[in-house]
Amino acid sequence: MFFAAAAFDLPTGPASASAGISWPDVALSFFAIVLEGAPFLLLGAIVSGLVDVFLPANTIKNWLPKSKTQGIFAAIGAGLIFPLCECGAMPIVQRLIRKGVPPAVATMYMLAAPALNPLAMFSTYLAFRNQDPLLMIVLRFGFSLVVLVFLGFWLLKLRPDQMLRAETITGSTKQTQEFSPNPGLVLTPRSGLSLGGLQQFTGAVIRDFTGVLLFLVIGAAVAALFSTGFNRNLLMPVGHNIILGPLAGILLAQLLCLCSTTDAFIIAAFVPFSIPAKIAFLVAGPLIDLKLYWLYRSAFKPSFVHGLWVRALAATFILTLLYSLQP
Amino acid sequence: MIARQLSFFAPAAVMSAWATVMLHSIATGHIKQLLSPMFRNYVLVAAIVLIVLSALYLFLYEPARETSASALAPGSCIRQLGRWLVLLIPVVAASILSPSSLSGSTLQNRQLDSTAGAIPMPTWNSASQANAKAIIDSDPNQAVPVEVTDLITISHTPAQIKAFDGRKVRVIGLFNNQGGNLKLVRWIMWCCAADAQPWSVALGGNTTGDWKNEQWLEVTGTAQFPSTLGHIIPHIEVDSIKPAQEPDEPFLSP
Repeated sequence: MFFAAAAFDLPTGPASASAGISWPDVALSFFAIVLEGAPFLLLGAIVSGLVDVFLPANTIKNWLPKSKTQGIFAAIGAGLIFPLCECGAMPIVQRLIRKGVPPAVATMYMLAAPALNPLAMFSTYLAFRNQDPLLMIVLRFGFSLVVLVFLGFWLLKLRPDQMLRAETITGSTKQTQEFSPNPGLVLTPRSGLSLGGLQQFTGAVIRDFTGVLLFLVIGAAVAALFSTGFNRNLLMPVGHNIILGPLAGILLAQLLCLCSTTDAFIIAAFVPFSIPAKIAFLVAGPLIDLKLYWLYRSAFKPSFVHGLWVRALAATFILTLLYSLQP
Repeated sequence: MIARQLSFFAPAAVMSAWATVMLHSIATGHIKQLLSPMFRNYVLVAAIVLIVLSALYLFLYEPARETSASALAPGSCIRQLGRWLVLLIPVVAASILSPSSLSGSTLQNRQLDSTAGAIPMPTWNSASQANAKAIIDSDPNQAVPVEVTDLITISHTPAQIKAFDGRKVRVIGLFNNQGGNLKLVRWIMWCCAADAQPWSVALGGNTTGDWKNEQWLEVTGTAQFPSTLGHIIPHIEVDSIKPAQEPDEPFLSP
């Protein structure tokens, strides 16, 4: 029914799901998302290039805990200390995996960095400063941590080939075109030039940037469509419901595809939503949404991303439902 | 031969096109409708880096002399060409087709009815409170120039409501008429236009005129703060309305 009204500014009456989709507005939102995300993606690709040139695989391996379980908790801690936005994290995570970091550990960092981001907690405080901010921060941080640990134990059980696309090879230091996010890009060094380090860096940045950018473009298109065309008031009547409230929060997070440093300001305005519904929104959104789904697809197999999606949302729902049911 | 040349120049073309689109949006001021001020310099830096990367690419690499059999296969060529086109066409098309402001249907989809007066005015800092105090302390004999957001900020503090109720104000915003409910709207943008939310004050009194939805208007009238269903919703009893130029910053940022 959402798409039934898809037309240029076609009003569909108060009972309809949407006031219609304005395609120029979708273009505006899409353009805004890619312009906002591209600089961070480029920054991530540059860091990835620097890691490629200056950090030997052995050095990285020496830094990591020997046990994978400890690695998972170290990754959660790293997400807290080295916060990164979702777009910037993707090229770095892929590079770390190609440098030999266990995929489970790198993936956990990818999930933890936006979810436990101190800036996200600070923005939560600001957004809810008239609505019990400390409770919101404690619940957001605590529930995110629990969901991350749950996902971490699931990640530990998976083999790299169950998680990663063939291009995101594990444990390899080879830099051939086949093992990059943009495997079709053929880079032939100019004959007579011997600028090895610069060539390696430039090639890595271009491969990583253009490879992940494709998925950012697709994700941004989906996010723009829903953030523009979905009528937010539709979820208001169920936002305070004990069971449907958390579901509404999760659904809203999936559709709006907001950054973790911004999302608190948007959900704070949903006054009829219960606290569990708002927390469900704040916990689920940074882990996965329609935009992140596509970004994750740049490195991971679809089956893995689907599994991650289901588990992240189910864990968020169960936690917030339990909180909702408490007397 | 052509395929090899195309595949060689495609990365530089795509990166240059993104840089051009970014610089164009900055040069034309279109970026003000897309990103909050905090993010605009990042786009400028990214555009410069992309130009440098394009130049480095052309300097450091050359067309493949011998392409592998798999890369020459028609399916592989088409897939790679499609990849570059997906990177090129949507962003160029969006830069051309993007309007200067969001439309009424998006406003309807994103606004949260009847709660505007109940939620705390979102802000990154305490600037909005300081601004509200300055407005209250201004000359009561003059129409005070205020933003829609200032009136919403004031509406959350009983003392400020008492001090400001009945004062003449001059406000610029987008006109919106939904079934006879007249509003003056401003969009608030956190990071980008995709997360922008509309905030509004109600209009009453002398609102006659052939005003169109999403038209920029300057409204002069009396600020009032009536309570509706327990919520204080700012209201302007209008004395006069006239068309206004789009403000330098069409979206407000907290």
